[in-house]
Amino acid sequence: MYRYDTFDQQFVDERVAHFRSQTKRYLAGELSDDEFLQLRLRNGLYIQRLAPMLRVAVPYGTLSSRQLRMLAHIARHYDRGYGHLSTRQNMQFNWPELAEVPDILADLATVQMHAIQTSGNCIRNVTTDEFAGVAADEAVDPRPYCELIRQWSTSHPEFDWLPRKFKIAMSGADDDRAAVNVHDIGLLARRRGGETVFDVLAGGGLGRTPVIGSLIREALPVRHLLTYLEAIMRVYNRYGRRDNKYKARIKILVRAMTAEGFKARVDEEWSHLKGSPSTLTEDQVAGMEAHFAPPAYVERPGAAAALAADRLKDADFARWVRQNVSPHKQAGYAIATLSTKETGSPPGDVSDRQMEAVADWADAYGCGEIRISHQQNFVLPDIGQDQLYTLWQAARAERLAAPNRGLATDIICCPGGDYCSLANAKSIPVAEAIQAELEDYDYLHDLGELDINISGCMNACGHHHVGHIGILGVDKKGREHYQIAIGGHAGNDASVGQIIGPSFFRDDVPRVVRRILDVYLAERVENESFLHCVRRIGVEPFKVEVYAKAA
Amino acid sequence: MPKLLRLNDDANGTGNGAAAGAAAQLEPAGQWTPESGKGLKLSVDQEIEERFLAAPLIGIEFPTFSDGRGLSLAFLLRSRHGYQGDLVATGAVQADILHYMRRCGFTAALLPGGEAPDAQTLAPHSDYYQACATEPEPGRFRIGGGPSNIPT
Repeated sequence: MYRYDTFDQQFVDERVAHFRSQTKRYLAGELSDDEFLQLRLRNGLYIQRLAPMLRVAVPYGTLSSRQLRMLAHIARHYDRGYGHLSTRQNMQFNWPELAEVPDILADLATVQMHAIQTSGNCIRNVTTDEFAGVAADEAVDPRPYCELIRQWSTSHPEFDWLPRKFKIAMSGADDDRAAVNVHDIGLLARRRGGETVFDVLAGGGLGRTPVIGSLIREALPVRHLLTYLEAIMRVYNRYGRRDNKYKARIKILVRAMTAEGFKARVDEEWSHLKGSPSTLTEDQVAGMEAHFAPPAYVERPGAAAALAADRLKDADFARWVRQNVSPHKQAGYAIATLSTKETGSPPGDVSDRQMEAVADWADAYGCGEIRISHQQNFVLPDIGQDQLYTLWQAARAERLAAPNRGLATDIICCPGGDYCSLANAKSIPVAEAIQAELEDYDYLHDLGELDINISGCMNACGHHHVGHIGILGVDKKGREHYQIAIGGHAGNDASVGQIIGPSFFRDDVPRVVRRILDVYLAERVENESFLHCVRRIGVEPFKVEVYAKAA
Repeated sequence: MPKLLRLNDDANGTGNGAAAGAAAQLEPAGQWTPESGKGLKLSVDQEIEERFLAAPLIGIEFPTFSDGRGLSLAFLLRSRHGYQGDLVATGAVQADILHYMRRCGFTAALLPGGEAPDAQTLAPHSDYYQACATEPEPGRFRIGGGPSNIPT
């Protein structure tokens, strides 16, 4: 993984000192609330319903064991003993003291971490495939290019004060696990004749107006990556709407200009930038790629056989392997997903003790590296197949072994009304009630791949538009209601879900989800997933069933 | 009384009263002519016209301090159009934005009032990653520039 050099270290150290002085100026009354708001947001600090919330950047979801131990320390020392994995692969702390935030940032800087640009109207943490660099279906490891974008976008002189927040995602595998279609910019990396190139999508997004991104450039060579991004950002910074925050995302600009018009504008801008000094040299690209060289894998003769024997011996383990273990590039190794979605635990919440444990397992059974997925789970990317059984036993003791990756109980869920001051409704109790409703493993497994995503408001942090079942909390005359959509999808063939009808009270949501699934089970043809079933038969049969019985 | 603060390296500190006065009396693009001898005031959504480049001084008026359009406009005037004169940030100028302004090519800012910002606010970082109007070469070619020298 990427290691800071003296430049990077100096930069984050200076940022800590700078933020400390900004906090001091605010507390001394030299900065107004509005001024400090904008400044603290650019350093990941929100003031939430109950306390400040600090979002720590986990660049493209990659952590070392040492970094995770520092996050555990922060949870213990400055917070209430836990943190929250976000849908942008970051970690959030819900209870820090404002005056202590500079100290937290100083601690983070000792392990090459920061909170720069994790909120505010600027370029946010670039997200990618949680299996980057290890997935068997990967054509291009996206991490070096994500790091190039991270560096380029850090305190950019021109693009830190955009009309609205800006999210970039990259995928380099056959299966898009990074939801690139619903990002402000989505980058699909592939190889073409020995060269890394990117298909560039622009204007996708969730929020109030969900939009699938438009392809605006095919096969952009890696050397042009930063100058092309500069062209997009300049067009957006100059022409994106600033009069209405709900119309300020790039998707609205792309729609207003049309994708062709937007592309023409970007191409015109790029014609001045192509070949400029920000063009990447082969040495620069190779230098960055070297940071992400694979760890020292060893031959593991007999590992596959050992795993097979362990699976036969223990049915619970076999179930977990089937659901939570994914194929690795390297023979003898596997990728293990540690689910935070055991029923009764708020999705994405992890205790300091769990963080310490995961860091220890990464060192003991892997290569010291951990990933955070946008589904809010931990991933251990380099586990010897013969170590999986030991890992699983340890994970089970720490409640991180729910065998539900990709199943209906692996719910993506924002913090919602329990924590967030933007939320219209709670989301965590809804997730928990649905998990309890669907808990039976055989039933879950029979349902197969099913993404249930829950957001507590229109901002869509829980990605409800792209859930196979998407649930949105709305406020109606002061009472929490939940709108349900089906048929959304975040992967390669992304789609936005369709609302099935009027919203429901919170207590009714699990029953409604169950009825939707009853229709699926009755209507599906052999091996058809929920998503494909909805796409084939449409929303109507679901609507009829849900509302007929509710009446 | 607004205070003119120099941002470029060759003229540290606050400017003289005459410059501040000139910066405060700019003419909007619709009225300004090269013959007027006055400074030109641009709104942040102004498209650049060739004639602007003859102005001895251009002020870009920030409607709010968090509106980044003025940064792009300054960058384009400097880097694309080669504007050589003074470039002054006016309007809702906030001290913490000055370091962005300097890197986008502003040579001065008209502060609405109060104390001059401290050195850390003016220059929080000793170096940056990317190219900018004042440093066309990105971060001394350091991006991706080789292995780490910090052990973990």
